[in-house]
Amino acid sequence: MNWFENIRWPEITKATNDTLTMLGVTMVFTVIIGLIVGIVLFLTSSGQMLQNRIVYSILSFIVNILRSIPFIILMILIMPMTKMLVGQSWGVKGAIPPLIVAAAPFFARLVEASLREVDRGVIEAAQAMGASRWRIIWSVLLRESRTGLLAAITITAVTLVGYTAMSGVIGGGGLGDLAIRYGYQGYKLDLMLVTVAILIIMVQILQMVGDALVRRFSRK
Amino acid sequence: MKKGLLVLAAALLLVLAGCGSNGGNNTEKNGSSNTGNNAEQTQNAEQNSGASEQTEKVKLTVGASEVPHSEILNFVKPILEEQGIELEVVVFQDYVQPNVQLFEGGLDANFFQHQPYLDEFNAERNYDLVNVGGVHVEPFGVYSSKVESIDELADGAKIAIPNDPSNRGRALILLAQNGLITLADDANTSSSVADITENPHNFEFVELEAAMLPRVLDEFDAAAINTNYALQADLNPLEDALIIEGAESPYVNIVAARPDNKDSEAIQKLIAALQSPEVEKFINETYNGAVVPAFQ
Repeated sequence: MNWFENIRWPEITKATNDTLTMLGVTMVFTVIIGLIVGIVLFLTSSGQMLQNRIVYSILSFIVNILRSIPFIILMILIMPMTKMLVGQSWGVKGAIPPLIVAAAPFFARLVEASLREVDRGVIEAAQAMGASRWRIIWSVLLRESRTGLLAAITITAVTLVGYTAMSGVIGGGGLGDLAIRYGYQGYKLDLMLVTVAILIIMVQILQMVGDALVRRFSRK
Repeated sequence: MKKGLLVLAAALLLVLAGCGSNGGNNTEKNGSSNTGNNAEQTQNAEQNSGASEQTEKVKLTVGASEVPHSEILNFVKPILEEQGIELEVVVFQDYVQPNVQLFEGGLDANFFQHQPYLDEFNAERNYDLVNVGGVHVEPFGVYSSKVESIDELADGAKIAIPNDPSNRGRALILLAQNGLITLADDANTSSSVADITENPHNFEFVELEAAMLPRVLDEFDAAAINTNYALQADLNPLEDALIIEGAESPYVNIVAARPDNKDSEAIQKLIAALQSPEVEKFINETYNGAVVPAFQ
């Protein structure tokens, strides 16, 4: 086998752009939606400020369901919604809504776990000082769990890189799709190795940036 | 502590029982876990059948696509049962695993692909799988939910095609044979979009997974769809396809096996059962011309 004879750089460049687009847009919405859901899950859980068993059960149930559905099935199930939101159910555009629906519940659970780590004593002290609910959520909860949240974002982003490989099924493209089509279906190992190498570099960068941010905001 | 030990013992017993039932019957049956010794074992089973009091059943495990392959196989299952062959049909969703499993011995045969695909697969992976008999052709077609005839496709129309090398080539060749584009080499079954030399209508080709194409039919101007997926999506190749392959196509769907078991009695009986007037009638009646018998 002639090494690297199959590399078509324009195709790889387009695939890299597709992956970065899917990653970037999805992460923005995932963080916003996941943060809100995660905070609500935490606050309505037993023993917390807005304790409400019904709300917690329902929300938790929905999050569990969304996390249980295999991604490809999820893509197919929400195709009508995707069409309504972005106008088409295929391509990079069509891949983003299902990616958000898959990633946001995952991130929400990480957020919930992060918030649980916050020292109860600090929350109680703020309550004792008469701080309003919003003040507590913003200045105490979120501030104290900052490093945990940053770590959660990093974990989610890296996991998302793997998910984007599935978008090839609906023509979303991306590096993972190239690797599957040429490595698995087409058996062109050199092209597959190059795409995997780029993915590795991408994940390394994501992780390094995430770790640096965590260090920066860590109070020690 | 006692309870825990009991549970552990029960679990161990279950595991051993499972292992035992697979390992103990090798002289009688062909287990699908055997790697490559099926030809010999069939012979042994035939020789032992006189001496043994139990009915000797030869087990044949065949991997297949859902429609129409597994349906045709299930049709011949009772016929084979009368001949002493227990046919197990394993349905696969993709076009790679059935060949991989056949090569590695997990399957005795498979029935889902055509010769060009098998040739390409063998070449790329250094496999030696062989064609033991052709059964039918599923004429590949181009469908549209937007236009009634292929001439109505506007300039710049978006056409969805399969993203795997073999089906993509087939789709492009079909379009080329109908004069819509020109390919560098009409006979190259692995043609890709890069091989289009003339595209006077400026069609835009989008590549998706073959199984996804029926689902996105209403979002494109046209889509080239494999017949088995079209049938599953309730499309009728005869009525709904704008253009369709002729029945003399080189893409006859074949039964494939390994060199070491291709001449075994079980495989030969399978082929004989498949290439029979009964199956011809079944295919014609069930698929109304969307699937065409092609016993080669």
